[in-house]
Amino acid sequence: MAILSVSGLEKTYKKGKVDIPALLNVTFEINEGEFFSVVGKSGSGKSTLLNLIGGLDRATAGTIIFDGNDLRKMNRTELANHRRFSVGMIFQSFNLIKSRNALENVELALIFGGVPRNQRSKKATDLLTQVGLGHRLTHTPDELSGGENQRVAIARALANNPKMLLADEPTGNLDSETAGEIIEILSNLNKSRHLTVIMVTHDLETAEIVSDHIIRMKDGKIVELPQKTEVL
Amino acid sequence: MNLTDMIILGFSNLWRTKLRTLLTTLGVVIGIGALTSMVSFGTGMQKNVTDAFKNNDLFTSITVTPKQVNIDEIASGSVSEIAETLKQESVPLTDSMLRAIKQIPGVEIAYPNMEFPARVTLLGDSTSLRFQAMPAEMKKYKPFNDMLAGSFYKTDSSGCVVIREEILSRFKIRLENDDKKIILTKEDSAKGVKILSPDSIIGKTISVVSLSMNTSKIPNALFSLLRNKPEVPFEETVTELTVCGILKKSGPFGSDLFKGGIIIPTGTAQKIPKLGFSSVYDLLDNKHKKGTYSSIHVRINDLKRMDEVKKALKDMKVGVFSVADQLEEIKRGFLLLDSMLGAIGAIALIVAGLGIINTMVMSILERTREIGIMKAIGGSETEIKMIFFVEAAVIGLIGGIFGLILGWIVTKVANLVMNAQILPAGEDPLSLFYFPAWLILGALAFSLFISLAAALYPAMRAARIDPVKALRHD
Repeated sequence: MAILSVSGLEKTYKKGKVDIPALLNVTFEINEGEFFSVVGKSGSGKSTLLNLIGGLDRATAGTIIFDGNDLRKMNRTELANHRRFSVGMIFQSFNLIKSRNALENVELALIFGGVPRNQRSKKATDLLTQVGLGHRLTHTPDELSGGENQRVAIARALANNPKMLLADEPTGNLDSETAGEIIEILSNLNKSRHLTVIMVTHDLETAEIVSDHIIRMKDGKIVELPQKTEVL
Repeated sequence: MNLTDMIILGFSNLWRTKLRTLLTTLGVVIGIGALTSMVSFGTGMQKNVTDAFKNNDLFTSITVTPKQVNIDEIASGSVSEIAETLKQESVPLTDSMLRAIKQIPGVEIAYPNMEFPARVTLLGDSTSLRFQAMPAEMKKYKPFNDMLAGSFYKTDSSGCVVIREEILSRFKIRLENDDKKIILTKEDSAKGVKILSPDSIIGKTISVVSLSMNTSKIPNALFSLLRNKPEVPFEETVTELTVCGILKKSGPFGSDLFKGGIIIPTGTAQKIPKLGFSSVYDLLDNKHKKGTYSSIHVRINDLKRMDEVKKALKDMKVGVFSVADQLEEIKRGFLLLDSMLGAIGAIALIVAGLGIINTMVMSILERTREIGIMKAIGGSETEIKMIFFVEAAVIGLIGGIFGLILGWIVTKVANLVMNAQILPAGEDPLSLFYFPAWLILGALAFSLFISLAAALYPAMRAARIDPVKALRHD
């Protein structure tokens, strides 16, 4: 069953009087529990696509139906709720708050999720332990390695039990060994929790290993919609 | 996100930029300090005046004059009203009128205004003073029911008088003080200043030299004018009276000294030969007749009956004046004073508000990425806005509390400095500042309001930040 259905999606940025198209007529579907990868070069529109699915940005045209709800029809509060409860996002640059330690970064998501104060610390500790950071709870991002920071970001993304994990170049800033560990975590989450994952990456090889489906984007368009074996 | 979480988050955000928060809060502290100290001066003045009125029971007093005078109309400069008043025929305030006034329901006591100047000698020192005649019944009322020493006279014909504490210095008398030992300066000793206990003055004799007109001396006075050696047609009479009480100081704003430093029983006053007028205006008024009074003082038994009594008096075609009528006018005057002082203080607070805006805007610039992150993990615009409002509210509230403390300290120091100036002159300590509950709560509310208003633009700006751009922000 499709958890996400994207149809005729378009996004145009305005720079002065000039329209710059970032996405053109993008259409695809993702089933629940799928590991879905979007590959393509820089500027191909894959991050824009992820931002639209994550509710961080609004499309110019087309529809994004997530779990039966059209994101384009949502108001700002509904979009905030979508980001809070429906999806969890991780980024290439981790996007952790530097002044807060690992535990506090995860707790912040729990605060927005309305988790009672007496449950937050335990839940955040559990999540960080699950990603192998039970011993680094009080360390700030500056005191953690890139891989550890990305694990904190994954723990934070999982805080409010989202239905989908959106990973924007999650291994872009990591060495190959650490990148492998992060991909393994994402893959495990996909399998063990039946969590739908959309990963944007340059790394076609890695995508091919873990993904159920891959789309390739170029100049804002899906250039191929092949089966896994065909991509190879 | 609930309010507690927002407050905790707000505090932790402010704690991260301690120095900037401290400086911004200091701006609010100074603003509120200036505002409260200024307004407390206004309220202090108002309290002193109204307390003095209350302590002297002036709100239940009415002054009856021979002509109907509309104070408001005259004060507003209505020429026609003044002309009307001047044209009016005076109703003579006679003894029969006094009796009629006493019969009005609600009137507790009524007595004619009788004042006269005299030279008084007490314990070897002389000074010129005004006497004020008052019936013995006045001993029931403030401030005459609270004597410093001795007691108010019992009968209207008793030969004893009550002296106001304020005028003792004119007889070179300093009263002993239980709290503080009084040491005379060399200058005081040279002048012959005495230190006495209040009780030791009770029972002492005062010698009163009054002046009266001697009609037989008038022809001589006229001839003397022609001879260019003027003589006055007056005669001096010496009367011996006893001090039976000393009246406590009535406070800086309640002093009734202009009416008389010595209070004398009505009957005794009538027996003392004196000039037949209580003021120069009586002499100038050609309609002034013998056996009439320039005014009559009325005290009512209940403030609620004021209108009723005043109506009855107006029906008798006499002029009626009460302090209670003027209270609203006085309050309006003080409101204006408070507003002016408050406005000066408010300027300081508005400057502090600009400081808050600056801090918040800077904070948004620094925390753009953080705001983007909060939005990416589900923070709504309202929550982001609220986080900034809470931060401003914390600055406003803490600034308000410490501002009040600063204001209080400033007023205490100002009071100390002022009292240090006036105490050596033998004056009582003054408290010029007053912090009523409404000022404390109002200052806190105002501080909070200014802080929140200052955060309005920064908070809106933070809430509207595009998360995609914010996440790319360095």
